[in-house]
Amino acid sequence: MTTPVAKTINGITIDDTFAEAFGMSATGLVITADTAKWAMIAAQTMTGFGTSVIGCGAECGIDREVSTVDTPDGRPGVRVLLFGFSPDSLGPQLKNRVGQCVLTSPGSACYNGLDVPKKIALSSGPRFFGDGWQTAKKLGKRRYWRVPVMDGEFIIEDKAGLTTDAVGGGNLLIVGKDRAGLLEVTEAAVDAIAAVPDVITPFPGGIVRSGSKVGSKYKGAVASTNDAFAPVLRGAVNSELGPDDIAVLEIVIDGITSKAVAAAMTAGLKAIVAGGAKKGVTRVTAGNYGGKLGQHHYHLKDLI
Amino acid sequence: MSLLSFNLRNAAPARIDLSGLTPGKLSGLSSLEIAKIIVGKDREQHTAGDLFDISGALDSDTGLIEFVGTTALSEGIGDGLAGGSIVVNGDVGAHAGRAMTKGRLDIKGSTGAYLGAGMKGGLITVAKTAGEFVGGALTGEKNGMAGGTIVIDGDAGERAGDRMRRGTILVRGSFGAQAGSRMLGGTLWSETGFGASPGSLLRRGTLIAPKVESMPATFADCGLHDLNILRILSRYMIELLGPLAPKPLPPMVRRYAGDLSTAGKGEILLVG
Repeated sequence: MTTPVAKTINGITIDDTFAEAFGMSATGLVITADTAKWAMIAAQTMTGFGTSVIGCGAECGIDREVSTVDTPDGRPGVRVLLFGFSPDSLGPQLKNRVGQCVLTSPGSACYNGLDVPKKIALSSGPRFFGDGWQTAKKLGKRRYWRVPVMDGEFIIEDKAGLTTDAVGGGNLLIVGKDRAGLLEVTEAAVDAIAAVPDVITPFPGGIVRSGSKVGSKYKGAVASTNDAFAPVLRGAVNSELGPDDIAVLEIVIDGITSKAVAAAMTAGLKAIVAGGAKKGVTRVTAGNYGGKLGQHHYHLKDLI
Repeated sequence: MSLLSFNLRNAAPARIDLSGLTPGKLSGLSSLEIAKIIVGKDREQHTAGDLFDISGALDSDTGLIEFVGTTALSEGIGDGLAGGSIVVNGDVGAHAGRAMTKGRLDIKGSTGAYLGAGMKGGLITVAKTAGEFVGGALTGEKNGMAGGTIVIDGDAGERAGDRMRRGTILVRGSFGAQAGSRMLGGTLWSETGFGASPGSLLRRGTLIAPKVESMPATFADCGLHDLNILRILSRYMIELLGPLAPKPLPPMVRRYAGDLSTAGKGEILLVG
């Protein structure tokens, strides 16, 4: 172990280090359907295969359920967030994911879910499924397209909000000496983060077990296993792990704003230290690249 | 500061043009300058001061102007309104709210023809009835209303929404004959019904009412449908109008597609 300790809370050490995150572009959508079940199905489908921007084109996730009072059509909804390297890379992802996963879902409708001045095209693509029968209705400042489909009409808003001030890659690395207990605590941290608005944890169940380092011995691989945090290599490499540590799980956080990412990391840290020691959690640290690549640094000691 | 009020002393002897008396156009003018604005449309060239008792001053925060005692000869009220509010305690003539882009015009009486013709934004309310071509296009103009909302408590005259492109006209009474003629988009919504032959040459746009005096032969019955856009429209009207909003539309409506003698992407929706 080479990272110094910043503080110890409830028997869990917090490393004196920081999470290094990157500026990203992001948009938000509200997907509605006849029932909350079908709104969630459409949202889960369109955010699927959206864990890492490197391999999936976008990082996507569900922010929260939206009540009938707050959706444009008064039906149950789900807010999803999509993150990409740039507006140009986000556009095709939006078009394909909405076209293949929301347009196709029974009773669905798709609206802007990010109220900011800058916009990205949302309907360009899906609306042309109407083959000329699509019509638009502008109400106030919002334009809705009506696309005839087999169960009625698919409603899609013309544009969605776009921010280039989003942040991707906030993270917490949770270290433990009991794998089952560690997973339980990390799940609780993901649940706490889910309550924070404007953030997603894009990996499966919000958790990554295969943290990576930049580069590889193999030509063409941009990332490879984070050997310093791989417990089975503890004796073979310059390990970051203590003698009793047998597993590490990571939570990656993307947020619409840097403030939201910081709030999410705080929520996660609080949940971990609240009862983590009893479940075998020993330590919380964070991933960075020496501070030279990412514009956003979140020092753990400042968050809790 | 009391609101700027124009009280018509006697019924105007001839048509008068009040299009110069909007908050934007009066902003920064002294009472003397306001009184000198010519409103007469005949050879007399009457000024505002000749015909109205003018009191108060324009509050730059509210931008509110009041007219009292106007008649059907008072034309062009709120023409080009780009912000602020005008309240009219009386009837008005033609061209009220014409080409307005923002703000609010509340008319406590009835209006003449071309109410809100070519308007692009803002809200007009009328307590009684409106004349022909509500939200329409004036001769020589390509399009009619292109945005905003008009709410009429009584009936609207013939050919409301002529060449209308966007926006919403809500009538609690009935629309006259040929509402939505040559319409290109937008919504006409009556809580009572349409007169004869609505939607003549309707290209796009939506006409909503419980009944139609006579359905044109060039509209095709598409059956009963649950249209999600009507939920959005109902909620939008509640958000925009508050207590003035119409009763939300029922989930099922009968859709007639037309006018099939032209593009045919418009619709008449019969509710209830």
